[in-house]
Amino acid sequence: MEEKKQLTLILGVIGADVHAVGNRILEYAFTEAGFKVVNIGVMASQEEFINAAVETNADAILVSSLYGHGEIDCRGLREKAIEAGIGQIKMYVGGNLVVGKQDWLEVEKRFTNMGFDRAYPPGTMPQEAIDDIVRDFGFKERC
Amino acid sequence: MQSQNRKLDWEQFLKIREEALKSWPTGQEVDLAEAIAYQKQIPASRRFGQRLEEAKKEGITLAQPRAGVALVHEHIELLRFLVDEGGADLLPTTIDSYTRQNRYNEAQAGIEESRTVGRSMLNGFPAVNHGLTACREVTEAMKVPVQVRHGTPDARLLTEISLAGGFTAYEGGGISYNIPYAKEVPLERSIRDWQYVDRLVGYYEEQGVSINREPFGPLTGTLVPPCISHAVAIIEALLAAEQGVKSLTLGYGQCGNLLQDVAAVRSLEELADEYLERFGYKNVVITTVFHQWMGGFPQDESKAFGVISWGAATAAMAKATKVIVKTPHEALGIPTKEANAAGIRATKQLLNMLKDQPPLVNNEIITEKELIKIETRAILERLLEFGEGDIALGTVRGFQAGVIDVPFAPSRFNAGRLLPARDHNGAVRLLDFGNLPFGEDIKEVHREKIAQRGKLEGRDPSFQMVIDDIYAIGKGMLVGKPR
Repeated sequence: MEEKKQLTLILGVIGADVHAVGNRILEYAFTEAGFKVVNIGVMASQEEFINAAVETNADAILVSSLYGHGEIDCRGLREKAIEAGIGQIKMYVGGNLVVGKQDWLEVEKRFTNMGFDRAYPPGTMPQEAIDDIVRDFGFKERC
Repeated sequence: MQSQNRKLDWEQFLKIREEALKSWPTGQEVDLAEAIAYQKQIPASRRFGQRLEEAKKEGITLAQPRAGVALVHEHIELLRFLVDEGGADLLPTTIDSYTRQNRYNEAQAGIEESRTVGRSMLNGFPAVNHGLTACREVTEAMKVPVQVRHGTPDARLLTEISLAGGFTAYEGGGISYNIPYAKEVPLERSIRDWQYVDRLVGYYEEQGVSINREPFGPLTGTLVPPCISHAVAIIEALLAAEQGVKSLTLGYGQCGNLLQDVAAVRSLEELADEYLERFGYKNVVITTVFHQWMGGFPQDESKAFGVISWGAATAAMAKATKVIVKTPHEALGIPTKEANAAGIRATKQLLNMLKDQPPLVNNEIITEKELIKIETRAILERLLEFGEGDIALGTVRGFQAGVIDVPFAPSRFNAGRLLPARDHNGAVRLLDFGNLPFGEDIKEVHREKIAQRGKLEGRDPSFQMVIDDIYAIGKGMLVGKPR
């Protein structure tokens, strides 16, 4: 990726969620993969995601949610991005997004309807998202 | 204000209380004298501490799930189901994550949306918003004791409502509910807010109402070495005892290696007795809680039952007083009530099969126990030095200096320099000691064991090894092999 543009990713855990372990691993994995990672950490509000994206001219926002309130916490994030003038930014979300075991295709639809480009079910390995991002930005292969 | 392990002055307590009760309208419902009178008429069969003491005497292990949903009647139905269909000996009321951060407006929105969509939008029971009467409705509907479980750095209002609401046990502590559960809360503040909680429990105790208190053992639940969680448990036991708490359950989260886990549970109780006695706290009853594996779970339900059963077996062999049960939905988040009950049934099967077998004893357990004790004492003694004899002050200074450090914690008041990894037997050791005050002899034990694993795997121990260990159980192994 060095020869092309290095992508900047905003990484964080949304809402009142304090799950820190996966966040640490994602930061490590995305950095190793050659991205510039701006990690806003756990308990991040929608405003913090948007502000960080505006300030760093980021290419994508990566939202994690492990505690089940993802549905409430993520609603309106796309609208906030539009208001801030970065409506086209790519948005990814993953984790244990809802309360209880629910049909994943239903859950995925709920999140793409909210304006996320991609949603990932529980247990997704970092590499899958890395490959998707590389592809979504038109790179042929990872660096 | 400088932290100090000293009993809160009653007048000062009342002043803080007035403020705390104002932080949400339901606080005004709490009348302390009425609450104590109410607690006094709760029968012994529903008193948490009493049930634990009996189990300790009998040498058995009780099973307790985690559970909580947004609405009162659904919550009652859930808890009843866990007793009737799961056979739970003890019940929880797990509090939702907005309430844990004192975000009651968001909890209210979650309650209302749950009513509209007909399913729980919250990951727990918002006890503060529901208030006193609803809590009593919950506790009165149960025939077994119910404890409040949460993760709240400032739990003053929640405690007032919970105790007045008839719960007879209460989880948490100034360190264990801050460092793993918050990002920006200074330790001085959470220690002080939990001294308030313990003072309130101590006051109930003075009035003849015993409330069980349980520091949260597993911390981040991610490869936490026993000495770290033991040090925190003992600090919180000392802080609680100073405020008048008499019934304490100390916790430890399963690491996965049987010998280390059994040694950890046994050393925890012995260390607690040692320190409580040394500081002159008398008549404190110590029981133990073993948490089934708190890290990542396999998605496959049969594999998850394997992990659950191994935790149940270890708890029984360690003779922990109670075990906190996981569910086959763990990898996916909040479980359904059916999955929750299934986890309890699997656990009880193991507990029943093992309860008559004698406790496991061998030389490796004795050696491991000694190692855990030496490490825990090393940390506690340095903290006491830092605090000029005061454990509260020493804890604040010790976290600043990283002489006590919790792996993978979100708090910025935690140094975060430790790197834990498994040895070749799957016991959790340290790859990077940060600033832990260990002597060279202890460090050498860790280095040697991890080096041995590295050699067997043909790689140098590194952060990648730690990541492999974090994912390992989810992928069907204990020790994370190179990919």
